[in-house]
Amino acid sequence: MINQPEAHDLLTEARRVLLESLAPELTGERKYEALMIANAMGMAIRELEFNAQNKAEEADRAVLSLLETHGLPGHNDECESSLADAVRERQLEGGNVTLRKVLRTLTEARLGINSSGYLKR
Amino acid sequence: MSDFAEAFSWFVVQQTGARSAKVITFEKLSGGAIQDNFGLTLEIEGGERAGTQHFVVRQDAPSGVAESLSRPEEFRVLQAAFEAGVTVPEPLWLCEDLDVSGQMFYVMTRADGSASPRKLVKSDLTEEQRRTIVRRLGAELARLHNVRPPVQSLDFLALPDPDNAALSRVAIYRRHLREIGEPHPVLEWALNWLEDNSPAPGPTVLCHCDFRTGNYMMAGETLTAVLDWEFAAWSDPAEDLGWFCSRSWRFGANEREAGGVGEKQDFLNGYREAGGVEIDPTAVSYWEVMALVRWAMIALQQARRHMSGEQRSLELALTGRMVAQMEFDLLTQIQELEDGQ
Repeated sequence: MINQPEAHDLLTEARRVLLESLAPELTGERKYEALMIANAMGMAIRELEFNAQNKAEEADRAVLSLLETHGLPGHNDECESSLADAVRERQLEGGNVTLRKVLRTLTEARLGINSSGYLKR
Repeated sequence: MSDFAEAFSWFVVQQTGARSAKVITFEKLSGGAIQDNFGLTLEIEGGERAGTQHFVVRQDAPSGVAESLSRPEEFRVLQAAFEAGVTVPEPLWLCEDLDVSGQMFYVMTRADGSASPRKLVKSDLTEEQRRTIVRRLGAELARLHNVRPPVQSLDFLALPDPDNAALSRVAIYRRHLREIGEPHPVLEWALNWLEDNSPAPGPTVLCHCDFRTGNYMMAGETLTAVLDWEFAAWSDPAEDLGWFCSRSWRFGANEREAGGVGEKQDFLNGYREAGGVEIDPTAVSYWEVMALVRWAMIALQQARRHMSGEQRSLELALTGRMVAQMEFDLLTQIQELEDGQ
């Protein structure tokens, strides 16, 4: 279905209006709420971009590859769950370099969406 | 709101034996998702507190967190801290009668200053002033940690089981994570690390369990009150020290490990010199890791409250999205500890 302008565009423009036009008029608790809304919209925008670039699949592939290397089960749609189980049950050793790399990849991907400035701190 | 003001002032009149009390100001104070805090200034005629009096009334909010203390319990903890010489608002009167305002509440003196973490962290303080502040904060914890079980008035506080607060916490957080039912491999990995690296347990003492920048009041560079005692528990003293130094509570001033305000060593020196328990610094680092896991658990629970419909809230939803920060810090901090940094 074609439905233009697309969600990313709508959100981006709505966030711009909120930050540039509305928020400067507000003070105190109302301003704080406006900035929270802008923050939430920013996350939604970045998540749309992330999914459009197939980055979620990339992260999943890294998890599946790690699980396969260790003969552990894992499926595309619940590979993070399989990884969490394997770590909890200590089927993957905590010091495993590849495990740490995969955990970092997953975390940085999520952080890129949720708190894009945090990685630069 | 004015009904509350009338109810509270009536209660104060009863407690002080005053002839009357006139409400001068009444306002809802910021902060506290679990409690409502009200500022109440009264002009009191007669009785034991005649004159202009500034109070804070702390009352249950409609929604609470299961882990936190009730108002009567919190009041008793505050009394214990006050008697131990910790700088806290003086706890005055507890009201358990629901007919007065509809909720249980207590009244305490009002401290001057601000608890704003960003204001403090961004303050233009000299290194000497920073040292003085964090040493004082360490000394406050030392006084609190002098309170040891058994204390009859605090018999509602559970003792850590199995006599090791760290492993007790790990078991609790594993249960929380299972109940949340969302996969978090980094948290599982960190819990394994905490289980494998627990330091020798310290003595069991009264811990604040939320002692951090943002939960104490400062008037300029002077500490005026340690606030928010609803998570107090018997625990290992290093839990409070680690929570205070955790990366989550430095408000962007990462290089200042003691609450974003000063140096960790100054904080620990202040603690030790005021009679605090002898603490191995590696135990504090360990509890900093525990702090990141705990904050992640709280954030996940808050997001669940929103997602389940129990309390729809943008703030709670956004808190859930902060978990990746704690996970990132866990990966970084554990690696640094293993590398001996």
